[in-house]
Formats: sequence, structure tokens, C-alpha cells
Amino acid sequence: MSDPDVGVGGGRAPGERPLRASPRVVLVHTATFRQARQMVPVLIPVAALVGLDDGLLTVVVMAAVVTALSLVAAVLSWWRFGYADGPTAVVVTRGLLARSVRTVPNDRIRGVEVETPPLHRLLGLVRVRIDAAAGSVGVNEEELVVDGVTRAEGDRLRARLLARRPAGVPAPDGVQAPQPPVEEELSRFQPRWLLYAPLVGSYLVVPLAAVGTLFRLVQELPDAVVPDLAGPEPSPHLVVAGLVAAVPLLAVAAVVGAAVVNWGYRLVRRGGSLVAVRGLLTRRHTELEVDRIRGGTLSEGLGMRWVRAARVNALVTGLGQANRRGQLLPLGPRAEALRLLGRLVEDPGPLTGHPPAALRRRLVRALAAGLLVTAAGAWAAAALGWWWVPVVGVVLTVLGVPMGIGRYRALGHAAGPRSFTVRSGWLVREQAVLQRRAVVGWQVRQSVFQRRAGLATVVACVGAGSGGYAAVDVAAAEVPGFAAAASSGTWAGTLAP
Amino acid sequence: MTADAPTPVRDPAWSLSRSAIGLWVTGGVIGALVWAVVVTAVLVLVPEDALPSPLRWALVAFAVLEAAVTIGIRPWVRYRVHRWEVTGEAVYTLTGWLTRTWTLVPISRIQTVDVTRGVLQQLFGLATVAVLTASSQGTVRVLHLEADVAQRVADDLARRAELVRDEAT
Repeated sequence: MSDPDVGVGGGRAPGERPLRASPRVVLVHTATFRQARQMVPVLIPVAALVGLDDGLLTVVVMAAVVTALSLVAAVLSWWRFGYADGPTAVVVTRGLLARSVRTVPNDRIRGVEVETPPLHRLLGLVRVRIDAAAGSVGVNEEELVVDGVTRAEGDRLRARLLARRPAGVPAPDGVQAPQPPVEEELSRFQPRWLLYAPLVGSYLVVPLAAVGTLFRLVQELPDAVVPDLAGPEPSPHLVVAGLVAAVPLLAVAAVVGAAVVNWGYRLVRRGGSLVAVRGLLTRRHTELEVDRIRGGTLSEGLGMRWVRAARVNALVTGLGQANRRGQLLPLGPRAEALRLLGRLVEDPGPLTGHPPAALRRRLVRALAAGLLVTAAGAWAAAALGWWWVPVVGVVLTVLGVPMGIGRYRALGHAAGPRSFTVRSGWLVREQAVLQRRAVVGWQVRQSVFQRRAGLATVVACVGAGSGGYAAVDVAAAEVPGFAAAASSGTWAGTLAP
Repeated sequence: MTADAPTPVRDPAWSLSRSAIGLWVTGGVIGALVWAVVVTAVLVLVPEDALPSPLRWALVAFAVLEAAVTIGIRPWVRYRVHRWEVTGEAVYTLTGWLTRTWTLVPISRIQTVDVTRGVLQQLFGLATVAVLTASSQGTVRVLHLEADVAQRVADDLARRAELVRDEAT
């Protein structure tokens, strides 16, 4: 069966065949059960219906069946997958029964990521993810994936898709002579930065999640395969000792996790693009257009602030979820992060703190939960004798004080000649620094309580990152001035009373 | 309403159509009817010993209070708060009830202008103009304008946005 429908669009000459992924990708997908994974929910009831007993033979048979199904599915999906990079658009065709043809115009492409998972690397393949501008397609379809092309083809695709034309005007092929791009290294990962990892929430979560998955896997396996570990109930001393031993293990796992993800990290400016390369097993190669970078965020978690570590993300217009793609410094010293941020966007100067009324609001909010639990606990203690409830309430209340103060001290905003910044957050303190021209609107919010305290929250609406960056609890009188100083043009003057 | 504290920013100049009050009251009545059905169902179907009588009264009181606020108070407060304005450079709205929200979007950054008419809005001859930008948070909605005004505003904004569009976002 030939598929004449694949050749549509893309500006390719009619008759020119769309490209296929390398056949070797079938091996990868068979081994990883990529397509067959969807059948698991179907297989489990089938297995239950047939009434399989928990024998070793059953497991072997099931593994063989699943592998065979996986091979068939992988071959079919490879056979029905095609892509074409035309002069004006990229077209990706796939789907076994329901065909899907997705066309993304070249000027909507915001970034290209080439990643090499371990199995792909073994077979000399790469996976190319193409980011389309938010809004051009559905929310969950912001990227096209071309999985399993050879490394040379991946590099060709990347270079071709990002061969930059001025502001989306496609240059005719061959006119723009490929001048040797100037390469400049902006940042390089130091292995000692890995020592920060145990204090970063996201790296701590990974080993915990791994342990959780292991437990689930053990539970789902048939009983015959799992050795009987359930002995007598462990003594409390043993549990405590286990927990104490778990702490350094968790720290080591976090360091290893961070090393796997960030090994050999390098950030390079090449011509008009920022190129980030990283990863030990899965090698990722991310490219962002400098012209579309509007600023960046500096995030410091609670533990990271303690050791003066930080991470930096770039805010790129049109790239919705820039958290992963926009990562410029995954983990490093604060000074390095600030230096890098300074390269993205001009420093708007020192932050202005927020008025004391904002501190009162932070404290009230931080204490409210604790006081509520204490009050309820007092009743519970009197009526039911649950003495521990008020104790928990008091502890929460006491902890609320440093939290409220910490949240207040995180607040700040500033406007410079070409950029502005807002900062907030306590568990993860995030400072966004943006160019003034990035602002596409202002939103001022004032609740009843804020009105009585003479405060307001100002949100700079930006077509990048999360879409809006807020200065929380600014003095109401400062709002029009800040908005006017932080946006380009005169339109923000409309807010002035 | 406390008018004593100064607002952080200027209020937009124009108020909505008075029909908006009718629409909000109708919405409140529908909501109250739904609540009445739910509360009645709970009172009838849940046995006496599962739900003690103070809780039953609290439920009824809540439904009555909710109806009084959404029908008797909120529409008028909203009408007094809600304002909008289209200046030479920007679209500006004030919405809200207890929490007020002022939104300002420059015409040069407008990407799309939509006019929508809900079922209730059609009954009252009203329409909503939604002005969209590149930012998910930078959306201005001018609620409940007279349908012909809404269409005129939308056409005017779309035409002017075309003239001064700033592609940089």
C-alpha cells in the first residue's frame, strides 16, 4: 500500500517522498516497549480472564508475547511515520489507522532539541524534538517529535530548521551563505557543583520516586518470583537506624541523579542561538534563538539559598513551558547564575522592598493555618482528649513566623532603564528579570484586605514563561509609577490617576 | 463598599450597559434554583440520623444567604465596580466584586479580538469582547456590552491593531 497523502504540504516538490526514520529505531522501540506500553491496561484483564497462575513459565510466556506484540507495533509505527522539512514548513505524518498530518510553518519554530537516550546512542540514532510557538497548535501539542533518525540526519535537521532568517522571512535556499558561526562558551559545568544536589528538591525527589516505582513493581510481580521477605515485624530501633542510614543514601542518590542529568553541561552561544548540551546517559542538545529571549528567572530553593546556589532559566517568547527547554544553568553557584542572567538581560538595579503592611499580610497568612489548628485542637483536646492536636497547632504557628518573615523578605521589585525585575516565593524564591519590551499588558489586583492595607498586586503580562510575573503587595501609590517605568512606550501611562 | 481608600490606579471611564444588572440577577436566580434543588434533595433523601438538625438548618441558611447575595447585592456592586475604556493606545478594564482587577493591554500587542455571546447574553442583547495577547494572563474581557457596541469596538480594535502591530511581543 502506497500512501500518496503523505506528500502534502511542506512546500516540497510534489512527488518528492517524505523521509522515513531509520529502521534501526524499530529495535529501540521493541526493547523499550514504546508502543506496546499502551496495551498493558488491556493485557491485565485478559490475563485475569484466562486465569493465569503465578508460575515462572507464565512470566516467560507473557514476556515473549509482549515482546512480539511490541515488535509488530514498532514496525507498523515506523512504516506509517514520515516527515518532510520543506522550505516553508515541517510536516510530520503518522498514525496507523487514523492518519495525522501536522504542519508547522518554519517561522513558528522556537527551538530544536536533539536528544540521545542510551539505546539510541548504541545504535547511532537521535530523537529530534521541534518546539512550535505556543498558540499555533493545541496546548499539549507544542512539539513535533521525529524519533530515531541517524545522528547526521539529526544534525542536518537542526541546522536547517534553525538557519535563521530575519524575523521569520524564509531566505531562499543558497542565498544566505553559511558563514562560520562565532562560538563563545558562556558556562561550563564544574563537577563540584554536584555537591549542591542534595539540597535541591527536584533532585531529592528522583531517588524517592525510584524507590516508589521499585516497590510498585515488586507488588505487581507474581508472588512466585518475589522471594519471601516478610519476616517478623522490625523493632523500632531498626526502623530509626534505617531512616538514619537513608539520609546519606538519599544525598548520594541526589548527587548521582544530578550527575546523570547534567554531566558535561555546556552553554555556548553560536551565531544567533544559545546551545546547551548535557546528560550522561541521555545526551540532550537544546538550541534557543537569542532574538526571542526576553529575560530570565533566577530560582533558589530553601536549601539552595543556604549554600548560595541557584538555577537560571531563559524566558523565550512563544515557548510555553520553558522550564525544561529554557534551562541555562541547571545548578550552580549564585554568582555564576547572576553572571549568566546578566548576559541575557541588563541588570535593573537593586530591588526595592515592599512596605511593612506587606509583612503584616505575610505573617497573618503564615500564622492563620497554625492558629486555626490550635483553636480546633483546643476543642479537640477538651472534648476528645486529643492532646496532640493543639501541640501540632502550636508548632505550626511557631514555624509560621520565620516563614512569614521569609516570604516578606523575598518580595521585591525594581525597574531599570531597559529591564525590570520582580521577586517572590519562599520555598522556591524566584526572581524574574525581563526586558521592558516583553510586557504585553498589566494587571493590577486588589482584594478587600489589600485595599484596607493600601497594597496591590501588579502582574506584568509577558508572552513567555508562565505568562505573568507578579510583584505581590506593592504599595498602592507606587503601582502606576512602576508599571510606566517597566514597560516600553507610553501606553502604561493610562494607569496613572 | 469602602470608597475611602484611594484606588492604586485610575478607574476606566465608561460603565457597562444597565442590562448587565438584569443578566447578573438572572444568573443569580438560576444559581439559587440549583441550590434549592440540591438542598431539598439532601433534606429529603438523607435520613434524619445521618445529618443532625443543626447541620440541616445551616444548609438551609447557607442557601438562603447565597441567594440573597447573588440576587440582591452582587449584581449592583458589580455594576458599580465594572468599567471599561478604549484609549488611543490601550484597552483598559476594571472587573471584580470583592477583589478588583484592572487590566491594561496596549493596542499594539493585541493578537486576536473575539466577540462572544452566551445564551443569557443573547436574551439581554449583550456580548463580550475578549482581547487576546501573546500572554496567557494578558487577556482583557469587556463583559456585557450592548451587542452592536461590542461589534463596533471589536472591529475598531482589530483594525487599529493591524496598523500598529508590534510583532516583537
